[in-house]
Amino acid sequence: MIAFFRYLKGYVRIKVWGFSPERFMNLCSNKNILLWDIKKEDDVYFMCIILKDFFKLRPIVKKTKTKVAVLERCGLPFFVPKLFARKVFLLGLLAALGFWVISSLFVWEISIEGNFYITEDKIKSFLEEKSIYVGMSKSNLDIETLEKELRRNFDIITWTSAKLEGTKLKIVLKENPVSHNIVKVEDFEDGSDLISDVEGKIVSMIVRSGVPKVSIGQQIHKGDLLIEGKIPIYNEDATVRKYRYSRSDADIYAKYTVNVRETLPFAYIKKEYTGREKKQYYVGTAEKIWDLGKIKITYPYYDTLTTQSKPKLLPDLYLPLIYGSFTYREYLNVEHQYSLKEAEIILNEKYAKILSDLEEKGVQIIEKDVRIDTESGKWILEGVLTVVSKIGIEEETVHE
Amino acid sequence: MKKNHVKSNLKKAGKELLVESLKLPGDVLMGDSIVTLTGNKEAWIENYRGIIEYTDSVILLQGKTCQICFEGTGLSINYYTNEDMKIGGLIKSVTYH
Repeated sequence: MIAFFRYLKGYVRIKVWGFSPERFMNLCSNKNILLWDIKKEDDVYFMCIILKDFFKLRPIVKKTKTKVAVLERCGLPFFVPKLFARKVFLLGLLAALGFWVISSLFVWEISIEGNFYITEDKIKSFLEEKSIYVGMSKSNLDIETLEKELRRNFDIITWTSAKLEGTKLKIVLKENPVSHNIVKVEDFEDGSDLISDVEGKIVSMIVRSGVPKVSIGQQIHKGDLLIEGKIPIYNEDATVRKYRYSRSDADIYAKYTVNVRETLPFAYIKKEYTGREKKQYYVGTAEKIWDLGKIKITYPYYDTLTTQSKPKLLPDLYLPLIYGSFTYREYLNVEHQYSLKEAEIILNEKYAKILSDLEEKGVQIIEKDVRIDTESGKWILEGVLTVVSKIGIEEETVHE
Repeated sequence: MKKNHVKSNLKKAGKELLVESLKLPGDVLMGDSIVTLTGNKEAWIENYRGIIEYTDSVILLQGKTCQICFEGTGLSINYYTNEDMKIGGLIKSVTYH
């Protein structure tokens, strides 16, 4: 810190020799002149002194009969005139500063956070519709309107926050997937029936509304009527006076079988990289890119790995440029065969997925009978699951 | 002349008595030099009048009550003001004359 202030004020390194250099130093300290880095070589003393104090030395030098010579000039007062002498450098510095200031008036990066259901492309095309794009002037950006428009346009968005951080427009949003997932359920005002969607045996029944047409232990088929929404109202002589139509509501559990079948061909093609690759660098803007140099790709099969970076002056001050590289990696398509062990692992994974999907739906698995076999050039996993689950599809009651 | 010398001696004895009985710091009333040594590489000195001799093996300072001599090798003065000074180098001995 002290060194920095000395640099700001400017200082000189001097050498002192003559009749009484010690007295020279004592007089300096008496006059409150700071000396530092005092060294002695033979009869000559070397020391540093603040530029302003240097001009106070004349009477001391006369009194002590010493001689003083400047060896080195350091600090800002010496640097600034040197700087002004280099006009081109100064112009370059000013131009760079100007470019920095002007480029900071535009938006050079748009980041979107918090979107899970709405894709980034969707939001970006919406922003473009509203004339918000990379390269637009910051003054044309109305953040409050943007937030409102986002909420109005996408029902799923419940909260938005947009802010400018340097040259970056940062949009943070929150979605409410619950409101998005609500499926409009038909209300069946004129009554509904419950129809079987499986073939099996009923194991339990709780009817809250409607007329049950089946009983526990009964064998049912696909399309059988389980609960009828047409409720008869009888006369005193047990004849039907009229029908009241209500919505069927019941928990009916049935035991039925589910067939499982997964296949896996014996052979599969695997990409094997040969290790040969070529790299092509590029620079460009958001609209156009230019390749640096030309390379010829002679590989029969290759894939491309693209990297892209944006230069930034400060953490949030982006420039309207991009740079990066394309890496072309050669590979060969090699045919492999699954061994029984490999096939078992893959098929078991698929099988576990089926089971977990069923359990997620609330299906209780009672019995499993599954085996792995081969069949005309492929591995198969085949079997039957005996399950118990809630059944029934709601359909509108037919009126008479 | 002799009378003056006796007077100043009495004054000095009185000051010492005051410093001792009131437990006042010696450097304030007596003008004693303060020498702070950090290992044998650095010395920080307050309350002195000036430099009498400065070479890279000896630095002789004039204090207010006595002379202080630093002996060593590669001695240099890091800074030098009216208030304090700092000596760097390899200090071998400090003697008072």
